[in-house]
Amino acid sequence: MPLALERVSFAYPDGPAILKDADLVLETGGYHLLRGPSGAGKSTVLRLLCRLEEAQDGTISFKGSSIRDIPPAELRRSVAYVQQLPTLLPGTVRENLLMPFGFKANAPLTPPSDEDMAGRLSDFLLSGVTLDSRADKLSVGQAQRVCLIRSLLLSPEVVLLDEPTASLDAHSAGVVLDRARELCESGVTVVMISHSETVPEGVTRFIYIEKQGLVMA
Amino acid sequence: MTPHIIEIGPLQLALCLGFVLLAGATSFAHRLGLGRDLAVGTVRTFAQLFLMGYVLKFVFEVRISWLVLSMFIVMVAAAVHTIRGRVKERTVSFAVPVFLSMLVSYSLVSMVVTGVIVGAKPWWTPQYFIPLAGMIVGNSMTAISICLDRLFSDLRNRRNEVEMKLALGADYREASREILAGAMRAGMIPSINSLMAVGLVSLPGMMTGQILSGTDPLIAIRYQIVVMLMLVASTAMGSLIVTNLVRKRCFSQGQQLLLR
Repeated sequence: MPLALERVSFAYPDGPAILKDADLVLETGGYHLLRGPSGAGKSTVLRLLCRLEEAQDGTISFKGSSIRDIPPAELRRSVAYVQQLPTLLPGTVRENLLMPFGFKANAPLTPPSDEDMAGRLSDFLLSGVTLDSRADKLSVGQAQRVCLIRSLLLSPEVVLLDEPTASLDAHSAGVVLDRARELCESGVTVVMISHSETVPEGVTRFIYIEKQGLVMA
Repeated sequence: MTPHIIEIGPLQLALCLGFVLLAGATSFAHRLGLGRDLAVGTVRTFAQLFLMGYVLKFVFEVRISWLVLSMFIVMVAAAVHTIRGRVKERTVSFAVPVFLSMLVSYSLVSMVVTGVIVGAKPWWTPQYFIPLAGMIVGNSMTAISICLDRLFSDLRNRRNEVEMKLALGADYREASREILAGAMRAGMIPSINSLMAVGLVSLPGMMTGQILSGTDPLIAIRYQIVVMLMLVASTAMGSLIVTNLVRKRCFSQGQQLLLR
């Protein structure tokens, strides 16, 4: 049980309730597809899970502890959140991949070697991209994959993907979905938002957000 | 050089109203609708400056330290009120940290300038402390407004970048380092630019005032140099403290960005 929600309620200030007494238990190593109408709060659910938003009521727990009791940086290292819009900083791909290792909370982690990072680029079929490539010259599809690699270098136990294929071409989207499936096969829990009608290969669970609640199927 | 002051009497002041009438005529001719504002502004200028003149005359004569310091506190409070009006952000309350940081940093700079550099004894001598502190507060008010405006707008506009860093394990300081630096730079640039332009593009008001009241220009420029450098230091100190304190309020204990 990597992540669980117990009677969680959330609303944005001056906004309608997104969740009301919602319960959910994620499956360890599961490949969860989070679905629901536009504006229902799918991204908010992912943001709650990594504590970028704070639930007003109820408990979200990670491996049995309330996420409020876990230092935020430690939680977010284990529960990686990849935004819908890929965000890279000016500089090289190498600098972007190594950026998290410059943060104080990540100091105990050993930064990856060039060889390791180059291997990841090739795993994600980024053949035209090198560690010295300028991040601002990448296409959206390439940038999205670099962002995913950057999160995975921290060896998370849960990966939250916010519509990772929304702005990607078919080729890039296929690569991302394949890697997501492989992550689950290696024991990582994945929660992915997708609007696509087709169900990615390997999905084990569906989570529907409806009537301010979460339903697992 | 013997000081020779030409006094401005009531008649001369009344003659100056001719300038306002000229501006009013322009407004009337072009239907600018500024007549009322012009009239109110003129009355306020007379009333506020006469009031300030009498207050200063009284404070200079009685020379009571707590009265001088109270005036300083009122000036800082008025500056904070003005900043609150200029900076539209309401999600994060910033009046208290701005007040405290302005009070601490500007009293420190004012004390050093009057007590150490000018050498006034005591350091709170009202003739020196009040005008110098007033200039610091007035100038830095603009700098702090710019800093805060920039800080808030960048945190909102670059939310994705800030949250990307938070999601990768950064704390709020690491996630907003560049934004903080940008805000501080924006606040400090005008006072640095004025160092370049002073004496060439503009003759500062204080120096002009001293010269008009009979002070040797070579003495006046020395005071002006002290003022210019003191303004750069106070702007830097104020921007540094205010942006750091206010930035902290933009994030929760759980390292979440509170601005939406």
